[in-house]
Amino acid sequence: MALASMPSMGPARLRALLGEEPPADAWVRANRGGSASERDVARAWQRHTSLGIRVLLAGQPSYPERLAGDPHAPVLLFCLGDPAVLGNASTVAIVGTRAPTRYGIGVAAQFGADLGAAGISVVSGLALGIDGAAHEGACGAGAPPIGVVAGGLDHPYPQRHERLWERVASSGAIVSESPAGVPTEKWRFPVRNRLLAALSDVVIVVESRHHGGSRHTVDAAIDRGIPVGAVPGSIRSATSEGTNALLADGAFPVCSTGDILVALALTGASLAISQKAAGGRLLSPEPAEGVDRRVYETLTADPSSLDELVRVIGVDLAELCGSLERLAQAGLARDAGGWWERV
Amino acid sequence: MLAAIASATLSGAVGRPVSVEVHVSNGLPGFTIVGLPDTAVREARDRVRAAILSSGLAWPVRRITANLAPSGVRKGGAGLDLPIAIGLLVAAGELSPSCTEGFAFCGELGLNGSLRHVPGMLALADAAVAPLGLIVPLCDVREAALVRGEVAHGAATLADLVRVLRGDARWPSTPPPTGDNSAPDPPDLSDVRGQALGRRAVEVAAAGHHHLLMIGPPGSGKTMLAERLAGLLPPLTPAEALTVARIHSAAGSGLPDGVLLERPPFRAPHHQASIVSLVGGGSWSLRPGEASMATNGILFLDELGEFPVAALEALRQPLEEGVIRVSRAGGTVTFPASFLLVAAMNPCPCGEGVYEGACTCSAVARARYRRRISAPLLDRFDLVVPLCRPDPDELLAGTPGEPSATVARRVAGVRAAELERVGELELTPDASSLLASKLRAGGLSARGLHKVTRVARTVAALAGADVVSFAHTSEALSLRAGRAVVVR
Repeated sequence: MALASMPSMGPARLRALLGEEPPADAWVRANRGGSASERDVARAWQRHTSLGIRVLLAGQPSYPERLAGDPHAPVLLFCLGDPAVLGNASTVAIVGTRAPTRYGIGVAAQFGADLGAAGISVVSGLALGIDGAAHEGACGAGAPPIGVVAGGLDHPYPQRHERLWERVASSGAIVSESPAGVPTEKWRFPVRNRLLAALSDVVIVVESRHHGGSRHTVDAAIDRGIPVGAVPGSIRSATSEGTNALLADGAFPVCSTGDILVALALTGASLAISQKAAGGRLLSPEPAEGVDRRVYETLTADPSSLDELVRVIGVDLAELCGSLERLAQAGLARDAGGWWERV
Repeated sequence: MLAAIASATLSGAVGRPVSVEVHVSNGLPGFTIVGLPDTAVREARDRVRAAILSSGLAWPVRRITANLAPSGVRKGGAGLDLPIAIGLLVAAGELSPSCTEGFAFCGELGLNGSLRHVPGMLALADAAVAPLGLIVPLCDVREAALVRGEVAHGAATLADLVRVLRGDARWPSTPPPTGDNSAPDPPDLSDVRGQALGRRAVEVAAAGHHHLLMIGPPGSGKTMLAERLAGLLPPLTPAEALTVARIHSAAGSGLPDGVLLERPPFRAPHHQASIVSLVGGGSWSLRPGEASMATNGILFLDELGEFPVAALEALRQPLEEGVIRVSRAGGTVTFPASFLLVAAMNPCPCGEGVYEGACTCSAVARARYRRRISAPLLDRFDLVVPLCRPDPDELLAGTPGEPSATVARRVAGVRAAELERVGELELTPDASSLLASKLRAGGLSARGLHKVTRVARTVAALAGADVVSFAHTSEALSLRAGRAVVVR
């Protein structure tokens, strides 16, 4: 563990070092000329136990089974929460962009909640955007969520997700390859994504840009033969470029939670899926006639700006706004930061 | 011998009366100026001496002391050259005390004895009160006449002035104005194609004096709309024009030809403006800043997010009270600053944040950008509108919108009706219940409610309605929907 705490010690180097000789010898060799002593090793151990971080060593029984056969498995895994969760029967990774649209956030949160309710653990990176939304949905839904993070477990990252971090740690588990005290560095994210894929049975990408970080997770999943699904999106949306490209490359399309369950080959199991997930939707009565009807017909599920609506419908701005507010009160339209969309 | 001459000095945008006392006595020849003069006043010694000698007058080779009373107030600027010179001539016996009796003097002297322009003449003329009149450089006489009327006289040189005072000549006639008093017309609103929301926002802002923040990507016409807003405001009343002229004159930008401008000022400081240039100040001569120069007009802050945070926060006082108080060790000055604040900003550093999913900024960069606009500052804006790039078809082939003149007539109508109306427009029951439901849903704060109601009243007044309907209220809500882009 002390070795892992050394600066610039990546998982591959650690693996190579420990592959050659027992940890104690490797430590002595790596530390040659260094100032660290046996006391530092003891102090590091003390630190982790006092923070409630468990250390899982490859080869030990507590080490997750999914990683046992992995060619790039970490030698050491740090875990906050219950490590047994990592062995949960089925796990699904939900990943995506850190700057999603509300569509992406909604879909991620819904999948998180539905999967959690179906007893499937949601694996994600606790990052801003899709990752966080999926965990928000999964927390308290049933199955324990799993967070896979890049930095040390002593500092929640990103800070804005501190509360979510605590909830995931208490109801599920957060794992990392980095010992406590290691800062979250850029190069650790792609490395983390490999672990995220390895711990999942299926990887779902909700929204991603053309060159998004989700690509690393997808590549790692393909290397390991793990099925990859993508949520289709608008061809005009930059946040769906990555997912639509994945679909073109052969990822299976995910249009409902059912599709994920099919991929998990779990469809036969009796699962409590909400009506919403199955695609059912309660239809509100549509407005009968007049401006409201015209406005409603012009609105689409994609948000439109007021300028556009004025131009297409050709009514006065006040009349249009009044009509939109009436539709909103009837639950037929929604205001999205000055833009309007059909519900 | 002793002489006392009335004059004035500038403190901020306000004149303060000063009495210039000159004492000439026997003793070692010398010339000292006392009474807290600044560098420009201290240098008056050399200018006054050269001017008197070049005008063919005698320089007393005696001990000369000039005192500027009240001696506790700092005096700045070269406007005290002329009263010092006149006082000296009286004290030295070149002029009889009776011929300067009842006059006040303000003006800068050239080494050749010519009288030169002094900034802030309007404010100086307010303060330099004397029964027979105020004597200023010929080029400033029209400006001084704006407040002093017929009792303002001008002279081109010190020699001319001495001749008139001795009774050997008459006052020279005031040169006729050379130009006209109308600044070039601001661009017309009909140039803006589409942009229903943006056009409406500037109209409502002009009609109800609502501060406006436009949020949109580059190329969505934010600057274009702001420039056209200036043409929608009603012309200044003479009293307002005088206030504006006083500040502009004190700031040194002067009045074209000494004539009052009718068009409201439009000030657009660059986003690298310092706090002092924005709110006024300076180490010794407190100058009005851009916010004061925009009084009774528009202060346009383009790229609001790029302004120094401290400069923006300094604008909160004028937005609240309509004045800026600048305090320095030497004293406190109050500048008028009641302006219509119009600001424009991008939704995020890349500018594409209004369109869902189009923004390529990281979440951290977005959050940092938005933090630059503090919640209290954002609260000062009644109108926060999201703007989009216009539709290409509309841009190329669309019909031109209403011209500025039509909209300006509506705005003037609303402003006139506002003055006559007793009480305020009432909200219809469904309009009130709409606001109540927004309040309950948490989409509106108590302050927000107040602002929406005010905007809704302006919208109703523009429509010529006598109640605020559901549609008016909905429009008012849409005119601040851009807050959602900035708040989180």
